[in-house]
Amino acid sequence: MLTFTKPFRDGAGFDTVLVTLALGYLVLFSGFPLVYNLVMSFQEVDLFSLASFDRPYVGLDNYTDVLSRPETWGIFLNTVKFVGISVAAQLSIGFALAMFFQQNFPGSTWLRGLFLAGWIMPALVVGAVWSWILAGDFGVLNHVLMSLGLTSERIFWLSDPNVSLYSVILANIWLGVPFNMILLSVGLAGIPEDIYEAAEMDGANAVQRFFTITLPMMRAQLGAVISLGVIFTLQQFDLFAALTQGGPSNASNVFQYWSWQLSFQYYEIGVGSVISVLMILFVILVAAVYVRSTRHEHIA
Amino acid sequence: MDLKSIALATSGLIALASTAAADPVELDLWTIDDPGEYHYVMADEFMAQHPDIKINVRTVQFEDMVNDLARGVATGDAPDITYIDNPEVALFASRGLLLDLKPYIEQSDIVNAEDIFPGPLSSVSYEGGIYGIPRGANTIALYYNADMYRAAGLDPDTPPRTWDELYEAAKVLTKPEDNVYGLAFSAVATEEGTFQFLPWLQMTGGNYDNVDTEGAARALSLWKKILDEGLASPDTLIRGQWDSTGTFNAGTAAMSISGPWELPRMSSEAKFDFRAALLPVPQEGADRASALGEGDNVILASTDNPDEAFLFLEFLYENMDRVWNDFGYLPASKVEVKDPKYPEIYAVFEESMKYARNRGPHPQWPRISKAIQTAIQSTLTGQATPEDALAAAQTSIDKILK
Repeated sequence: MLTFTKPFRDGAGFDTVLVTLALGYLVLFSGFPLVYNLVMSFQEVDLFSLASFDRPYVGLDNYTDVLSRPETWGIFLNTVKFVGISVAAQLSIGFALAMFFQQNFPGSTWLRGLFLAGWIMPALVVGAVWSWILAGDFGVLNHVLMSLGLTSERIFWLSDPNVSLYSVILANIWLGVPFNMILLSVGLAGIPEDIYEAAEMDGANAVQRFFTITLPMMRAQLGAVISLGVIFTLQQFDLFAALTQGGPSNASNVFQYWSWQLSFQYYEIGVGSVISVLMILFVILVAAVYVRSTRHEHIA
Repeated sequence: MDLKSIALATSGLIALASTAAADPVELDLWTIDDPGEYHYVMADEFMAQHPDIKINVRTVQFEDMVNDLARGVATGDAPDITYIDNPEVALFASRGLLLDLKPYIEQSDIVNAEDIFPGPLSSVSYEGGIYGIPRGANTIALYYNADMYRAAGLDPDTPPRTWDELYEAAKVLTKPEDNVYGLAFSAVATEEGTFQFLPWLQMTGGNYDNVDTEGAARALSLWKKILDEGLASPDTLIRGQWDSTGTFNAGTAAMSISGPWELPRMSSEAKFDFRAALLPVPQEGADRASALGEGDNVILASTDNPDEAFLFLEFLYENMDRVWNDFGYLPASKVEVKDPKYPEIYAVFEESMKYARNRGPHPQWPRISKAIQTAIQSTLTGQATPEDALAAAQTSIDKILK
């Protein structure tokens, strides 16, 4: 079998086929939607003109429209907060847990596996569970806080405009920690034990070992986890749908949810596309960082 | 060859194949009902009477209906008949996607446009045509817990008639120590929020095209006062009518503004004497208004069998007197409902129907509605004064209407 396929697999023709297949797939399923989305952002599009290209071009009107809306700035800041706080917290908690399980106590691998349970659950289900926990009048969290005497007044986690964004962030951190932990665990496992032993013999304490060995050796993994975290967080949609729908009064709205609302609730698809385009530009930037950090990994 | 013509050609082939195989006329019907509900029951009864017509019923989620229909139309895969929520009829009619039923109704012995209530009729009318037949109607009223009224020393036989009385009653009925709010309603940032607010605006002389009014500011100020003083849950901002009324059924709200669709659940869950009253008015003697809900049966312009489709619509209309008892909504035309369930509450809703006003009609309704929702939410969260919020809404709406 192997000898039979060898001439095909060695030939330049086969390489071309492989490249064409991969490229064809990308063009069809990634390139086309991206370009289509870009084109729509310059057009006036509604539900009924979705299937044809014959739509009025409006130049940069959609862009100026988005940038001149009073809610845009607030939603942009929310997006920054959502991504920044989520990624920072997911990363630090995930890293701490990964190092904790690296201590190899009895059952540590099993317990680490169980931590993934939260990540396996669909975000919509997670959202439904958190909406029970965070409910204002009869939520579990308020009940616990009030029983413990930590607060005397109910906190309206989902309907108080000063709190609602942070409630979604809280749920999102919980959802993202296991993924961060598992990726970082893999990285930690890859650091040779003898480096630590040598450092310990030279008298380096735990903190010094962390900053001089663990952190530098994890550079590639951290880069990858942060970039993936940013991309995943920018994709987070279900939690918003399940918890606050971006409300009240856009207090917890973010670009990804707003884009969907504009396109599919208010049928301003051209305007919704503008937001997608802006987000894609940002994600390309983050993806570049990700590709760089994984390339680093290959060289190492 | 574009996407549409390929799809048309394919569906044409399928149609050809199916006409060759079976003689009966097939009608595709999309509905938001589940099996056992209105459209399924009616289609079965209709097919029993008309063995030569076969109706294929398909359930589409309420929130997906507009998107799915638009996609169906774009790919040539649209049904013959469908349910559309009443503010969306103008959107489809303005694109020429719906069959104008006026000539059919003029010929019909069963459907008489003059018998349809003005609110529902206006929801299916667009630029002189009639593009659907209301399958029924609903509206909102004030439910109240008569036991809590007595306990608070209020007379359950004189529910609040004006906004001031509503506020006073809510204040007396609110019992934070027992986790009881005086009032439950919905100010959520969806169509439901608009649905609840519009009557308050209309009672003071405004409408969707005229929101920057003193009356509207008064209504929003009252809503804000009710929330700020804790007479309604802060979750009112993010909760729909069904969940809000759930708290009324559970005994944690003494009054609730909602519609007749609540009754089946209320009668099984609410362990108290519940009653209903007309929506309170701004002051004694003011105009009444109420919301108009429910949807319409429409025929798509692309249908191959308009006559059979209209026959089915006639059949649905003919059974209008059954909708209250069998399906839980109000008739949209002058019919006599025999032995209505919950007769006192039926009487309230029946009267309320007289004041029910349509949302729109306007092909850009979702955007108009969004401007209204934004005004409600930015006022209630304290981001803007009622006056500023309504002025901003008026600016957005004027831009859409021009």
